[in-house]
Amino acid sequence: MTDQNDKLEKLMKQSLNGDQRAYAALLQETSRLLRPFLSRRLSFSNEADDLLQEILVSIHKARHTYDGNRPYKPWAYAIARFRLQDYLRAHYSDQLRQALDFDEMEESLPENVTETGLSYESISAEVNKLPEKQANILQLMHQEGYTAREVAERMGMNESAVKVAAHRAYKILRGKLER
Amino acid sequence: MANIDELVAKLAQDASAVKPAPHPFMLSLQWLGAAAIYLAVSFAVFGLRPDLAGKFHNPWFVAEIATLLGLFVATSVSAVLLAFPDLHQKRTLALASAWMLALFLLILFFAWRSDTPPAPLPVHDIECTLGITMMALLPAVWIFYSMRKYASTHYRLAGGVALLSAFSVGALWLRLHEQTDSIVHVVEWHYLPMLAIGLVGLWLGKVMLKW
Repeated sequence: MTDQNDKLEKLMKQSLNGDQRAYAALLQETSRLLRPFLSRRLSFSNEADDLLQEILVSIHKARHTYDGNRPYKPWAYAIARFRLQDYLRAHYSDQLRQALDFDEMEESLPENVTETGLSYESISAEVNKLPEKQANILQLMHQEGYTAREVAERMGMNESAVKVAAHRAYKILRGKLER
Repeated sequence: MANIDELVAKLAQDASAVKPAPHPFMLSLQWLGAAAIYLAVSFAVFGLRPDLAGKFHNPWFVAEIATLLGLFVATSVSAVLLAFPDLHQKRTLALASAWMLALFLLILFFAWRSDTPPAPLPVHDIECTLGITMMALLPAVWIFYSMRKYASTHYRLAGGVALLSAFSVGALWLRLHEQTDSIVHVVEWHYLPMLAIGLVGLWLGKVMLKW
């Protein structure tokens, strides 16, 4: 472990002196080090890969804040944690916003349907015209009473993906029914 | 994985020799030195309070000034450490300003308790807050400008501490310049606004120090 630390610090010192090969080796080692850290905290491997790229760019931008006289790993992990928190914050606030939109849609849709005098059958017909996945989601949620999470489990999807698909379906339906 | 390899190759290609940032203690010393010169010039221009020598016989005044000075030093060191992603691996020292702030507030409490009978309130009030703000503007700009060169991973806290540090310079100047004995006035119009500004710094840190 100490050997690996020493190696990383040595590589970073060489990198700061402009050694491009040492820098490439350091970044490769860093990504090997951080990949399991990110994979444990994120559900999808593509998310981990995207974030890892962001972290490597951040390490590149902040490399002047490392002087080579203190352990490298805590420095790199501090940047990784910072970017991970940023990513999760953005991800959850996005999910929350989508969930709020979804709730608003759920509240407003029955009112509009009643006002325009549309029947259950006409809505069902419109639902059936939607892309198959969206139609299935709406049928499961509104005819069979499943929650978004249950639908996600049944269809092998992510819960937020179900909400997004439902949200898009509502948008299409709303457009059609308002015409 | 192929993307990572490509990115690594691209970053390595862009990498030239980089001058590492100075040690945080050196940066703090620079900052303290600049602030000391700034205060000295301000006292030369605006003058010291005429009763200052006499005030140094009052132990609570001495304690207040000493802890305010301590707060300024501690927040300066903290702000610089917070500008580094890993706090330069000196976490305890980076958070030491919280202890100094607690000590400062404790001293103010005791100074207020010992103020019997209470000293008369001066006729002015918000002018003091404005004076501190004006005096703190230049240090605030300077410290934020310096911190933006680094890479804070605690940008909100860094902003709060930086602004508290800049405003403690202003507060120190006014306390040694203005002839006021009322601790109630000093708390209300000097120190409470200074702490409130520290809270504004949390927002400013997000705006200015995010990278």
